[in-house]
Amino acid sequence: MNDFSELEAELRKLRPIAISDELTARVERALAEPPISSTPTSAVSRRKPGSIDWRFLGFGLAAAAALMLLAKVGNDRPASNQETVATLTPPPARVITPASPGKFIPTGVTQVVYHARDEGLVFTDGVENPVRRLRYRKRETMQWQQPETGASLRVSYPSEEVVLMPVSGQ
Amino acid sequence: MENVVTHEDWKACFCQHAPGLVLFARQWVRTPADAEDIVQEAFVRFWRKQRSPENRALLFATVRSIALDLLRRDSRRARREADAFLETEQTAAPSFDFDNGSQRALADAVGRLPREQREVVVMKIWNELTFADIGTVLGISQNTAASRYRYALSALKRNLVPHE
Repeated sequence: MNDFSELEAELRKLRPIAISDELTARVERALAEPPISSTPTSAVSRRKPGSIDWRFLGFGLAAAAALMLLAKVGNDRPASNQETVATLTPPPARVITPASPGKFIPTGVTQVVYHARDEGLVFTDGVENPVRRLRYRKRETMQWQQPETGASLRVSYPSEEVVLMPVSGQ
Repeated sequence: MENVVTHEDWKACFCQHAPGLVLFARQWVRTPADAEDIVQEAFVRFWRKQRSPENRALLFATVRSIALDLLRRDSRRARREADAFLETEQTAAPSFDFDNGSQRALADAVGRLPREQREVVVMKIWNELTFADIGTVLGISQNTAASRYRYALSALKRNLVPHE
């Protein structure tokens, strides 16, 4: 580090421009005001650990529900046609079992993290120590399959997860 | 309930650290006014939580976090800033009082450093943070912080040779 001692000394001779008195006054006014837990302009958002973006999740689940409903209607149609034909004899009772024909069975859920970002230290409500905020962007995919026909249904949607990791101060 | 810190405490702390904090914040914004806004918000938030000048790494981390959030919040502005950073790494050159031409050349050389090296130099030289503190602020190891510092000084020394 001796190689740089002269350069470091030169750098230290450079002095940052002094702050304005107005800035000090503004800080004084801000400190005098009661703290606001969360302001619209607050730069640090306060989210619970493991919280997710419900917009994405709701969107995805709605799409999944719609697709499952469509699949169910499509599978029920032949059965209703048979009921109208068999008018003289009572129709066989439909037994609903977990493995009933035409039912889609969940076969898997995958989560792919395609972006992770360390957003640095932030404060959270009610906690003195800071926490490190990590933001993950993921794509979640759910799959269903119909055992008899092999037909499969897959719903994929983006999601975002924010994780607050405790850090130890020094 | 003791909710208000004494006037002398916060003011002494602020007056001591504010110039270095503004210098630090200037790395992400183009104007001193924006930098002062960031420092104001960061210091108020820090002081309300800590009420002590200790843990300066947290103060700098707060400045950095607010500056980055500010850029993220305004997407157009963030794009503009990102473009500016891509075009040249000296858009947020630190602001100093110059006594002579050689000091100006030195300040310009600091401004030309890559941002990840410049922020380490700013924290180390003008704010006297330890490498451990710098590592905490940036989320890197202190060895990495020290390494970036050495790279920065090497680059400065190399760039200043023609001016000497």
